[in-house]
Amino acid sequence: MIEEWRLLDTPAAHAYSNMALDEAIAIARSRNLVPNTIRFFRWKPSAVSIGYFQSMEDEVDIAACRSKGVDYVRRITGGGAVYHDYDGELTYSIIVNEGHRLVPRNIQKSYEILCSALVCGLGLLDVPAEFKPINDIVAGGKKISGNAQTRRMAVVHQHGTILRKVDPTLMFSLLKVPSEKIRDKLIQSAKERVTSINGYLGRELGFEDMKRAFREGFEKTFEIRLVDEVVTDYETRQASELRGKYASHEWNFKR
Amino acid sequence: MGKAAYKVEGGKMIKVDLTHRHGKIEKIRIMGDFFLHPEELIEELEETLIGSYLEEERLGKSIKAFFQKKRATLLGAASEDFAKCIIMAGG
Repeated sequence: MIEEWRLLDTPAAHAYSNMALDEAIAIARSRNLVPNTIRFFRWKPSAVSIGYFQSMEDEVDIAACRSKGVDYVRRITGGGAVYHDYDGELTYSIIVNEGHRLVPRNIQKSYEILCSALVCGLGLLDVPAEFKPINDIVAGGKKISGNAQTRRMAVVHQHGTILRKVDPTLMFSLLKVPSEKIRDKLIQSAKERVTSINGYLGRELGFEDMKRAFREGFEKTFEIRLVDEVVTDYETRQASELRGKYASHEWNFKR
Repeated sequence: MGKAAYKVEGGKMIKVDLTHRHGKIEKIRIMGDFFLHPEELIEELEETLIGSYLEEERLGKSIKAFFQKKRATLLGAASEDFAKCIIMAGG
């Protein structure tokens, strides 16, 4: 019988709630309370997330975020700063037990395997793409998706962003840069090196179309069937406890 | 306090904030967009490095030994890159 996983399509939420729910799902999975899970989500308001090892003050222009109403949060995963535009990207999470056939012990290999489902989904949207080590997916040589993974409590937890449309000028207005001159260079370089689904296709694609394609990409590539479900009460309770951590100055500015 | 940033070729960015005295590390933060598993080891590594001499080769070796002992995985950078950036911040 085909392996069943759970699909959660959670409503757009604050950065703190989004990161809290991701961790809550991983905890629930580690206690075997829920099956392996794919989650789709968005950020409302738009937010900047930074990698576990980054410095919030060094990477994020807090004043600019405040004036634009953009949230900021530290992730439990490594990697770089990401601007999650409410209308510009779809975020996914994969939460699967360690030792599953899809996740080798080698972390670099597992990125490639897990990302291959997204590559498949992009292909279904007529965006031919490929995995690019360490943790990117590129289309036409330009980055279209960034991904980050952590392994805790015998659970592999990977989340990542799929760009629907991209605005480098806005993105770099929220990130710290050494100087205005360098800001212009970074914007220029991002325009050359980053793309999006809409940008690649030259037309507007809706979030529902994206989710349909990535759902199919996960099902085909992982050889699983995704069952639509909602967050359990246990996860909701865990998430509301964890929200405080992600909203705290202590966590967000700890490095 | 010394600060340095070092982009690993084909890899990630490392940033170090450092205070040192008489050639030894007093306080250190290793930051960047690399991946280290398990993540919390970074705090442990920083603590371990306090009191170490600012000598690139020795630092590289002791960081490598630390990661090996802890069975850590570092992606996008190597122990030697950490050492290099620490020396840059101390210079």
